Amino acid sequence: MRRADLVRVGVFALAAIAVFLLPRFISDFRAQQFAYVGIYFIALIGLNLLTGITGQISLGHGAFMLIGGYTTAILMSNQDPPLELFGHAFTNDLRDIWTIPLAGLVAGLVGFLFGFPALRLTGLYLALATFAIAVAAPAVVKKFAGFTGGGGGINLFDVEGRTGRSVTDPVTFESTEGADIFGLHIATFNEWLYYLCWTIALVMFGVAWLLLRGRFGRTLRAVRDSELAAASSGVDLARYKTLAFGISAFYAGVAGSLLAIATTFVNPDTFPIALSIFLLVGVVVGGLGSLWPLVFGAVFIHFMQIEWAQRAEAAIPDFLPILGDIDTDAPGAPAVAFGVVLILIMLAFPGGAAGLLRSLRSLTTRSYRRAR
Amino acid sequence: MRTLRLALSLLLLAGAIATGATGSTSADPGITPKTILLGGTAPLSGTASAYASVARGANAYFRHVNSRGGVNGRTITYKFVDDAYNAVQTVQATKQLVEQDKVFAIFNSLGTEQNEAIRPYLNQAKVPQLFVASGATTFGHDFKQYPWTIGFQPSYRAEGWIYGKYLARAKPGAKIAVLFQNDAYGKDLLGGLKQGIARSKVKVVAAEPFEVTAPDVQSQIAKLKASGADTLALFATPRHAIQGYVFANRLKWRPLIINNAVSSASNIMTLASEGNTNQSVENSISIVFLKDPTDAKWRTDPAVKLYRSIMARHARGANAKDVYHVYGMAVAYETVAVLKAAGKNLTRASVMSQTRKLNDASNPFLLPGITVRTSATERFPIEQALLQRWSNGTWKSFGGLWGYRAG
Repeated sequence: MRRADLVRVGVFALAAIAVFLLPRFISDFRAQQFAYVGIYFIALIGLNLLTGITGQISLGHGAFMLIGGYTTAILMSNQDPPLELFGHAFTNDLRDIWTIPLAGLVAGLVGFLFGFPALRLTGLYLALATFAIAVAAPAVVKKFAGFTGGGGGINLFDVEGRTGRSVTDPVTFESTEGADIFGLHIATFNEWLYYLCWTIALVMFGVAWLLLRGRFGRTLRAVRDSELAAASSGVDLARYKTLAFGISAFYAGVAGSLLAIATTFVNPDTFPIALSIFLLVGVVVGGLGSLWPLVFGAVFIHFMQIEWAQRAEAAIPDFLPILGDIDTDAPGAPAVAFGVVLILIMLAFPGGAAGLLRSLRSLTTRSYRRAR
Repeated sequence: MRTLRLALSLLLLAGAIATGATGSTSADPGITPKTILLGGTAPLSGTASAYASVARGANAYFRHVNSRGGVNGRTITYKFVDDAYNAVQTVQATKQLVEQDKVFAIFNSLGTEQNEAIRPYLNQAKVPQLFVASGATTFGHDFKQYPWTIGFQPSYRAEGWIYGKYLARAKPGAKIAVLFQNDAYGKDLLGGLKQGIARSKVKVVAAEPFEVTAPDVQSQIAKLKASGADTLALFATPRHAIQGYVFANRLKWRPLIINNAVSSASNIMTLASEGNTNQSVENSISIVFLKDPTDAKWRTDPAVKLYRSIMARHARGANAKDVYHVYGMAVAYETVAVLKAAGKNLTRASVMSQTRKLNDASNPFLLPGITVRTSATERFPIEQALLQRWSNGTWKSFGGLWGYRAG
C-alpha cells in the first residue's frame, strides 16, 4: 500500500469514529435527520459513479430508489388484504435488514438491464430516457395495486419484521429494552436508524473507493473522457457502461430500501420526479466525480428541503428589501428559495464542495511553499 | 466485597427511585402552566391546497380564544405544517412535530390516506390524533385498535347514505352514475349510497374510480354518460369534482348532480360554473353541517357575525366566504371545549377520555340542532346534516336534519 493510501485509510478511520460518536452530541430527532443524510450519501455515491465517473447522465435514479424501497416494503409487509404476486401472498416474509441487500440486487439488476438500451443513447437523449423512467415509475406502481398497495402505499409501522418495533417509550421516546452493540447502548429507534444507515454508508463508501482507485475506475474514467479513445485502447464499452449502470442502481436500491425502513411507510409519492432531480443536484453540489465530498451534497439536499429553504426564505425580506413585503407563507415559497440558493452556490463554487476543497488546498500549499 | 455489592445495589435502587420520581411528576409533552402546543399537517401546497383554509380557520379561532385568556389559563399554539397532501410528507412532518417540537397532540391533520399513514405511529406513541379531518369510516369504526384516534365530520358512509335515502324518496327510479376517488374515502361514500338505496327502486348503473393523482377524469365522465344514467354522483375532491362538472357540460350531459360535501364550498361551485356558462351546476345537491357564510339565511346569525369578526381580526387577507374556515373554527371550538372539560391537570389520556363522552349541542358554527355526540362504543362525533341545493350562485338548505342510522 502506498503512503498516500495509508493516510487515506487513517482519515477514513477518523471519520468513521466521528460518525460513530456524533449521536452523543445531538438530539434524538437530529440523529434521525442525519440517518437520512446517510441514505442520500449512499444514493449520491451510486449516481456519481455513473454520472461523475463514467459520464452517463441519469435523471432517473429516483426510480431505482423506488424499486429498492418497494422491494423492502413488499417483503416486509402485512397488508390487509395481503399483497400478491404469482399466487404468493407477502405477509411478514422477512426482517427489515435482510431485505436491504435484496433490494439492492433487484434494483441493480433492473439498472443493469436498463444499461442495454441506454448504450445507444448519449448526452441529452440519455438524460431524457432516464427522466422517462422516473416519470413512469410511480404510475407503474399505482397500476399494480394488488402487488404494491397502489396509491395508498404500504405502511410498515406495525410490521413484525421491523427492528426496534414497540420498544419505544411513549413519553420519552426512549426504548424500554434497547440493545448493546460494541459496548454502545442504542436506546431509540432513531439512533438505531442512524447507526444502520451510516454503517452501510461507510461500507459502501469503502467499496466504491476500492472499485475506483484501480484499473476498473481508470477504465470508467476513460469511457467518460473519450469513448472513441477508450474503445481503441481495448475497452469493451458495452460491458463497462452496463456494469456502471448496474452498480449505480444497486447503490440507489440500497438507499431506497433504507428510506422505506426509515420512514416506515412507502407510497408512490415517496419517490417523486423531484427526488431524481434532487439527487443530481446533490452530486453537483458535492462535486462531479468526487467521492467523500458527496457528504456535503447529501447534507445540502436533505436540510435544504426540510429546513434551510424555509429559513432562507424568511431571511429574504431582510437582505432584499427592494422586493417589498413578500408572503413567506405562500405555498411554494421554500422551493423558490431553494432555487435561488442553488443558483448562488453554482455561481460561487462551480466545482461543488470538491472543487472548493481543491482550491483551498492549492491555496494553502502555495502559501506554504512561498513561506519556505 | 459483599459490602461493595450491597452499596452498589443500594445506589442502583436510589437511582431507580430518583428516575422513577422525576418520570411521574413531569407533565405530558407540549403542556406548560401557561401553554398548550398542538400540531398538525395541512395541504398548504399541492393538489388539495383549497383545504389550507381549514387549518387557517382553526388557527384564527385559537387566536381569538387566546385573546380572551385561553383555556384554563393556558394559551393554545397550533403549529400546522405543509404536507403537500402527500402521505409520506405527513409521516415525516408528524414525526418532527411529535419528537422535535414535542406537541401535546396531533390535531385536525387533513386527508384520509394521510391520517391512515400516521395512525399506527401516533397510537403506539400514545399521542392523541384529535379530530381527524377526514370522514373515512375507519377513524370512528376502528377505535378498539386505535384508541388514540377520533374523527369529527360526518362519516362518508353517513353522507352517502343520506344521498341514497333522499333519492329513494325524491326521485324513485333514478339511475345513478358514480365517479369516486379510488381510496377509502370514495369507497365509503359509494358504500353508504348503496346502503341508502337498498330496498328502493333507485339503482347505481355505473361506477367509475379514478386515482387521486390522475390528471383528469374526462374518460370516466364519458363512460358514465354512456351508461344512460339520469343522476351523477361526484365523490371527488375539489379539482376532480370541478372537472366532473366541466366535462359533463362539454358532453352536453345534464343529469341531476350530487356533489359530496368535501367539494361543495361555494367558491368551488362558482369555479365549476365557469363564469355562469356551465349550467350543469344548477340544482346540484349536497349535504351541509356548517353555517355557510354565503347562505343569506345566516346573514344576521350571531355565530356567523362572530366568525366574520374573528376572520377580520386574526386571519387578515383570507377569503371569509370560504366555508372551510368555518369548518376549522367548528373543530377548534370543539377542541377548546374538550380541553376545558379535561380541566387544569391536562394529560393526553384525560383529553382522550373527554372525546369519548361528548354531548355538545352548543357548537355555534354547526347547524342548529346538530349535537356533537360520542360514547364508549360510538366514536362518530357528527352524524347529522341538512341537504342543500345550488341555485343562482348560492346554496339553499331544505328539509329537516337527516340522522344516519346504521343498518
